[in-house]
Amino acid sequence: MKRKYRFFAGFLTAQERWLNRMAQQGFRLVRTAKLLYEFEECRPGQVCYRMEFIGRKSGQNASRYRAFLEDMGYRTFYKNINLNYSVGKVTLRPWAQQGGRIATNATTYNRELLIVEKENDGTPFELHTTYEDRMQYCRDLRAPWLFLFAMTAVFSLTMRAWQWGVFAAFFLIPTALYQIELIRLGKEAKTKEW
Amino acid sequence: MRDNGKGGALTEVTFYILLALCVPRHGYAVMQFIEEKTGGRLRLGAGTLYGALNALSDKGWIAPCGDENGRKKEYLITAPGREIAVKELERLRELTDIAARIL
Repeated sequence: MKRKYRFFAGFLTAQERWLNRMAQQGFRLVRTAKLLYEFEECRPGQVCYRMEFIGRKSGQNASRYRAFLEDMGYRTFYKNINLNYSVGKVTLRPWAQQGGRIATNATTYNRELLIVEKENDGTPFELHTTYEDRMQYCRDLRAPWLFLFAMTAVFSLTMRAWQWGVFAAFFLIPTALYQIELIRLGKEAKTKEW
Repeated sequence: MRDNGKGGALTEVTFYILLALCVPRHGYAVMQFIEEKTGGRLRLGAGTLYGALNALSDKGWIAPCGDENGRKKEYLITAPGREIAVKELERLRELTDIAARIL
């Protein structure tokens, strides 16, 4: 049994890389909590991991998706993306599916991420494989950042306050990165034969 | 957006999913079917398959079937779905017939 405390915030690929590195060293996940990752020993490289952002799904959709993945033979763990210590929390996510959703402790609040574990059988492990679906997932990842950017930008313009502008500039970074990826995927998806 | 129902081509993934669901199958069985039939050339990510099953279900080309309480949800092709698949087969057949005669 090995316990590690880490916080990755929105850096999903960093978290994924770290989990896969742990698996290479012979540790597989058994439990997650706020900052805690609990591992048990396994054969090095026995399992591999993918991170999935599910914060944009409704509570029902998220648990359906999780059940689907478990049926596929994968093990899944919920993970929080932020550090919120709360009970009975209710929050509005204007960037979620269908023009916004209310997330509570009973739905996807503090369960914004899904860690998906697959037994290594030598075949590649990707959750999203078609261009259409990869673009959709990229939009899901962009949504909260785009919303935060738009909100802070509007605040800074209407209140003429540069402080909000600083936030807007910060939120623009992930928004732009996902946007670039989205454009790249869109270009790649196009069939151009002449 | 161009819809593959109106005379356009189906994507390979959609066509294979429709073929797989000519008998009731759950998600994992669909994934296995496609991998097996294509000799591992076409591999579907679980997230992609989940999205595809929901989208095709919304379109009415496939429908959940059997015991809803069962843990694994099974799907089956519907009559409109089958029609689409047959149309695609005819389109492909025409194409391969002409190509085979020429090449």
